[in-house]
Amino acid sequence: MIRLENVEKVYRTSSIETLALNNINLNVKKGEFVSIMGPSGCGKSTLLNIMGLLDAPSKGYIEIDGSRVEKYTDKNLAHLRNQKLGFIFQSFHLINDLSVIDNVEIPLLYRNSSAKERKELAQEALEKVGLSNRMKHFPKQLSGGQKQRVAIARAIVGKPEIILADEPTGNLDSVMGNEILNILQKLNEGGATIVMVTHDDAMAKKTHRLIRLFDGTQVF
Amino acid sequence: MLSHLFKLIWNKKGAHSLLIIEIWASFMVLFGVLSLIVYNVRNYLQPVGFEYEHVWNLDLASNQDTLEVAAKLERALQRVKAYPEVESVSRMSSNTPFSANQMGNSVTYNKVEVGADFYSTDGELSKTLDLKMLKGRWYQESDRVSKFVPIVINKAMEDKLFLDEAAIGKVIKVDDKKSFKVVGVVDKFKSRGEFMSDEPAVFELLAKDDVWNANMLIKTKPGTDANFEAKLVKEIAVMLPGWGIEVSYLTESRKNRQNLTLVPVLIFLIVSGFLLTNVALGLFGILNLNISKRKNEIGLRRAMGATEGRVTTQFLGEIWVLASFSLLLGLIFALQFPMMNVFDLDSEVYIIAIFAAIVIIYLIVTLCAWFPSKQAARIHPALALHEE
Amino acid sequence: MIQNYIKIAWKVLLRHPFYTFITLFGISLTLTVLMVLTSFLDHLFGSHYPENKRNRSLYVGTVVQTDSSGTTTSSGPASFGFLVKHAKSLKSAEKVTIFSNFSFSNTYVDGKKIKLNTKYTDSEFWYVTGFEFLEGKPYNDTHIRNGDHVAVITDALRDQYFDTNGETVVGRNIEIENVIYKVIGVVKGSPPTRLYTYSDIYFPYTAPKSNYENKGMRGRFVAIVLAKDQSDMPAVQSEFDSNIARIPFKEIQDGQKYSVLIVKADKYFDHFLSTFARSDSQKVMFYTVASLILLMFMGLPAINLVNVNVSRILERASEIGVRKAFGAPSKALLWQFIIENIFITFIGGLFAIILSSIVISFINSSGWIAYADLTINIPVFAISIVVCLLFGFLSGVLPAFRMSKLKIVDALKA
Repeated sequence: MIRLENVEKVYRTSSIETLALNNINLNVKKGEFVSIMGPSGCGKSTLLNIMGLLDAPSKGYIEIDGSRVEKYTDKNLAHLRNQKLGFIFQSFHLINDLSVIDNVEIPLLYRNSSAKERKELAQEALEKVGLSNRMKHFPKQLSGGQKQRVAIARAIVGKPEIILADEPTGNLDSVMGNEILNILQKLNEGGATIVMVTHDDAMAKKTHRLIRLFDGTQVF
Repeated sequence: MLSHLFKLIWNKKGAHSLLIIEIWASFMVLFGVLSLIVYNVRNYLQPVGFEYEHVWNLDLASNQDTLEVAAKLERALQRVKAYPEVESVSRMSSNTPFSANQMGNSVTYNKVEVGADFYSTDGELSKTLDLKMLKGRWYQESDRVSKFVPIVINKAMEDKLFLDEAAIGKVIKVDDKKSFKVVGVVDKFKSRGEFMSDEPAVFELLAKDDVWNANMLIKTKPGTDANFEAKLVKEIAVMLPGWGIEVSYLTESRKNRQNLTLVPVLIFLIVSGFLLTNVALGLFGILNLNISKRKNEIGLRRAMGATEGRVTTQFLGEIWVLASFSLLLGLIFALQFPMMNVFDLDSEVYIIAIFAAIVIIYLIVTLCAWFPSKQAARIHPALALHEE
Repeated sequence: MIQNYIKIAWKVLLRHPFYTFITLFGISLTLTVLMVLTSFLDHLFGSHYPENKRNRSLYVGTVVQTDSSGTTTSSGPASFGFLVKHAKSLKSAEKVTIFSNFSFSNTYVDGKKIKLNTKYTDSEFWYVTGFEFLEGKPYNDTHIRNGDHVAVITDALRDQYFDTNGETVVGRNIEIENVIYKVIGVVKGSPPTRLYTYSDIYFPYTAPKSNYENKGMRGRFVAIVLAKDQSDMPAVQSEFDSNIARIPFKEIQDGQKYSVLIVKADKYFDHFLSTFARSDSQKVMFYTVASLILLMFMGLPAINLVNVNVSRILERASEIGVRKAFGAPSKALLWQFIIENIFITFIGGLFAIILSSIVISFINSSGWIAYADLTINIPVFAISIVVCLLFGFLSGVLPAFRMSKLKIVDALKA
């Protein structure tokens, strides 16, 4: 489903060059639930961003669902993200000025779906995360766990095949964290391919496969 | 310290370029408006050079009457002079004080050519308008000798045409049949009112048989009112059937003339005032945002021992460097005006306007930066660092 | 979609009242000045009382005499005879009126002086202009043929000169420069900004002192040629041009050194412009300077807004990052921010309309211009809307561009 080939990422400022990722080769199969672990600063978020087409590698190739993306324009990439990928972030990144349902509808806005369709799909997604009673609330009125569930609903509303989660439980206590993981597992059972960055061993153990990174290099 | 500021600014040149453009544009607007104001104020401070308080302008038009016009004008003049309410009266060309009419011509002396306003008047004008003679005297009918027409010039004309020489007695050849002879120099004559600059003027003695210059300036005794005016108009109308007769007061014409200058200046002033308020508010907002974004930098500096005062000065210094840069850019444009002598204005006007604009710009940016930087400097270092 | 954008824009506005104030202050102020300005220009150049038919009127106001090299020129209004011969004779026009340029006079009543603007007109003047008669009626061809001493006055002059006691002043006498005229009509006065038709008192051109008998090309008269229809105007103009072209060279020379004669029947604005910008290059100059001033005037607040907006990008960084991550193309974001800006501009425009109505009613009632009739009418309103759009676009496009170009990773980090 996701294939990385010789991926390298270098950050350059005028004087310093940092190698964030070094020769990463990776293949995530359809329906897999993969977790990425490593110490802080090892490049795991960079790896996830590259897998999610949010950032371009300095070298190497990426293939999403069979298509190589290195020649894609911004528009094509946006379209691919919109169709195939769903994101969950550590700090939720909900838009405070929009209500829960409006937040969840965002991916559908860029798909030309009708307002009615958007509303139905958003409701459906919110039901899946158990928040259908909070649709008209605003993010500020929600707890951390609820916010992350809204974020998950937003990630799945477009029925993407791949869900990328960057420390989804990092800002939550363990009870909330387990709840979020349960939802992700359920989504995975429903057929979604999931890649999750985490620093929690217990969480990582519950996934199919574990990838360890150290200083930008994959260690097995 | 200064190089440190430059470094800070250079590293954020993208964000700063817009600010520089904004300050530059404000400077240009200010420069334009101030030039206009300085020009007018400088003119206003110069006296007009004549008395207009009780002077009326009697405007006659012969219309379809073509018989003995010159003689009729002379008779009307004598009639007006005879009224006890009239102190003095003199004939003048239609470019009477404060009127919209202008008559320009150029004279050449010793290869120096000067454009001047020409006024055709009789021997009484200096009395009617209380013109201040600097040298010589006002001309009389007896000064007209064969082809020499006596003239009186003003100081500005003397300086421009004769440079360092004395003007009295000089003869200026117009053509083979006519020459001017200077018999006197008056101080100033700003016929278009206070806001006119002190331009060269030439007074020429009216020909005896002149029929074109049919204006009369009448200096009345204080306390004369519209009743006399009505009587005057009525009697002149009887004397000159079919003629057009119009009386206006120089004090009123002066007011009209003044409004013609003041109204546009006022509009410009109001509009640019609002424009600058707008810019000042925006600048304040931007600086407020920028400074609050740098809270942890402030915390760091404070932790490393910078005093409140130093932090404030740093932010003020940054905006001053930015403003100076914009002003430098603005000066490149603004200095063209005095150098190229645009609009023929005295270069001093532009220089004063430039200095005033610079001072105002610095004042605005300082005011806009003062409050946010003061507030930022007051933040407790621990608090500022914690926010990250 | 748009609903969504506007919802966000509204929330952003409410979040920081101070910045909202700065933004709206700038926008509404700029738009107010522009609206008042357009309203004033409309007052000067639009079709308004009494020149209601200005949109199909052509003005013959100046005769320009010059030599072939154009070094010396002399210009001014035409003589009555000249206009009768070349303008009155136009076959394609509906009506042509000839009347004198403004001139001044005084009249005295009870030791008080009244300053007057006077005008000599033909009878067609009352057809071509739309003066509203409050009392009596205009003079007709019979009055003109007989050279009757009759006059039409304005309501303002009536109130100054006569003790009306509520009775009509038609039939009463007014004395000006020792000539007694009988008032036969009273019209509602017009603002002095209607340069050609404004006056306090109107006489038939055969009344004393009009100088309509003067020979030569130059004099003190102007003409308004009324076309049947706006679409007819080019035809009328070309007929007039061919009339002028037929004037023999000898007549053009007029005993003077001039060899070239320029007389045009122009639309009001063109006529106005040509009085101070004769050649095409001068006109180009005029438009350049005018648009430069306008650009400066609109540009400064726009730069200001751009600056504030750009400084506030970071506030929206997370939102931009999320939208991009979930598949918003840059173009969609660009439009989002432009639409937001236009929305805000329209709110500012709303304030501006209120503000300009206040300013305009103040100008109208201040007596700064007598009979001022500035309005926010449909053309003024339409121009304001266009200006709103332009301003919103101008001040929105750069920040929007910056925002949409923000890297997703950076946006999410901020």
